[in-house]
Amino acid sequence: MNIVVCVKQVPDTWAERKLRSEDKTLDRESVDGVINELDEYAIEESLRIKEAHDGEVTVLTMGPEKAAESIRKALSMGADKAVHLVDDALHGSDVLQTSYAMAQVLRKIGFDVVILGSESTDARMGALAAMLAERLGVAQLSLANKVEIDGGTIRTQRVADYGFDRVEASLPAVVSVVEKINEPRYPSFKGIMAAKKKPVDKLGVADADIDAAKVGLTGAATEVVDFVAAPPREKGTIVKDEGDGGQKVAEFLASKKFI
Amino acid sequence: MTSIGVTDDLSGDLTEEQRALRDALRALLDRRSDSAAVRAAIDSPHGYDRSLWNVLCEQTGVAALNVPEEYGGAGASWFDACLAFEELGRALTPSPLLGSVLAAEALLAAGDAEACARLLPKIADGSALAGLAWVGAEGRWEPDRAACAATKSAGGWSLAGEAHYVLDGDLADVLLVAARTADGIGLFEVDPAGSNVRRAHTPAMDPTRRLASVRLDGAPGRRLGGPAGGDAAPVLARVRDLACVALAAEQVGAAARALELTVDYTKTRVQFGRPIGSFQALKHRMSDLYVLVDSARSASYAAAGTVAQGGEELAVRAAVAKTYCSEALFRVAAEMIQLHGGIAITWEHDAHLYFKRAHGTAQLFGSPAEHVARLTHLAGIADMHS
Repeated sequence: MNIVVCVKQVPDTWAERKLRSEDKTLDRESVDGVINELDEYAIEESLRIKEAHDGEVTVLTMGPEKAAESIRKALSMGADKAVHLVDDALHGSDVLQTSYAMAQVLRKIGFDVVILGSESTDARMGALAAMLAERLGVAQLSLANKVEIDGGTIRTQRVADYGFDRVEASLPAVVSVVEKINEPRYPSFKGIMAAKKKPVDKLGVADADIDAAKVGLTGAATEVVDFVAAPPREKGTIVKDEGDGGQKVAEFLASKKFI
Repeated sequence: MTSIGVTDDLSGDLTEEQRALRDALRALLDRRSDSAAVRAAIDSPHGYDRSLWNVLCEQTGVAALNVPEEYGGAGASWFDACLAFEELGRALTPSPLLGSVLAAEALLAAGDAEACARLLPKIADGSALAGLAWVGAEGRWEPDRAACAATKSAGGWSLAGEAHYVLDGDLADVLLVAARTADGIGLFEVDPAGSNVRRAHTPAMDPTRRLASVRLDGAPGRRLGGPAGGDAAPVLARVRDLACVALAAEQVGAAARALELTVDYTKTRVQFGRPIGSFQALKHRMSDLYVLVDSARSASYAAAGTVAQGGEELAVRAAVAKTYCSEALFRVAAEMIQLHGGIAITWEHDAHLYFKRAHGTAQLFGSPAEHVARLTHLAGIADMHS
């Protein structure tokens, strides 16, 4: 089974995230990059599928050179090889363009199942899985908290407000996973040492038959017009309870139109 | 959370793989071994979190690091193993790693191929805990001393005596015993479940470290060291050196974390209308601690890097590291209490755990004073000293 797991490097969740003033894109240089947390669940799930069904896990990342760190970590967790789509032409691509570029790579490398986290912690679009499935003409199984593969059939549980749906499709397919689907493993010492020997295929836009005119900041369908730093949090009001605390709370909530 | 970079300044000395190992361990321990988890582990029957130990062994492979690949280990360098000790020290994670690693090293140093092939694979995968019984109640870790004695008769070796401060001794599935014999110190394998073996957990001042006493009353033992039966004094000398190296790494981790917690606290604790960390008197004290922790890490790395080489160079650097890092952790733990003020002497605050670790760990495998005295001989300055 040919399993491709899409991994995005995002700024450390705990770091202060900034936009660059020159082109209003995310500043990826000034903060530590980490694997998008939901993608760690996707990596773990892809490794479990491999362990149960044999096959090979390929990590697919689109991002600057620095994203190689995240690829290395995914390989040290146990993935077999990686494809790194890296090209200055891709800088500033929005989710539509990203899905186009990634779909081109996926067509080129082939897949039985594509797994990714349901959203990234930086952009939080949550749309890439659906767009990839649409572009590739395969089924999308979204928000999975359980994945089973049986021959050419894939079954998932899709989380919903009311519980979950059971979803079934034929392979190939694209699956997005939610947190708590599993517990991502930690890289082993042996895995860490093995990772540096695993092949990482670096592709530019031309290598992946990506039309450079269709990607990048200038052609993006979305545009960041302006941004300001979030104002510092104002000091709260302290109300001394002199027997009328309940009333004060009610007045506050009413003033904010909560009640 | 803001990083003040205390732990990362020497990371330029680490390879990419070593940083990955450290990061993996830190991520695991951040998630599974925070203050509440450490306290829960202390109060658990075995004194450590067995599910965390399983993850550490099955996923990261910490117990396999120092074991050669031919015996089911990872064949990593001791430098890598010390990164694990440093991370466990940071979090004060109670774990059977030190006891098992040292017992594994005793087996390797004894050179008994049959025992290595039989015992090391299960120590390396964490399925068996191992302990080395060596010293008496006086706690003198000298290679030519042992608390127990072994006598040989037609039926084989028989061991008697009581060893103290045995790391994980009451839990060990593999029990090694250093014992006096008519021809010097020998290393023996004793069945820990045998009827003439009595083991007891002995609560120590540092609750994050599991110590036990092992009493033998004519317990049968198998002498390790090949057909001729080896002289175990060099084995014990190496074990002591390696214990010093491992403990120094733990101490560096604990000191770095104690300082981080202190710096974080002084940034948020407001007095006289300002965070107390903005006062120069406190800044200077913390800067001094920062330099101290960094130089302690240098001593620790220098010792860890000499393990493969062994010999007198290792003996010197191990003793220097154990002495310097013990004293560094003493000071940081004491300053942690001073700079926190009253909150640091509450049970709920972790300062007392760092303080107890500092004092307990300094005594284990020889106090700074003992190592300094030893160093005067190792460095050939004994005459100047006296």
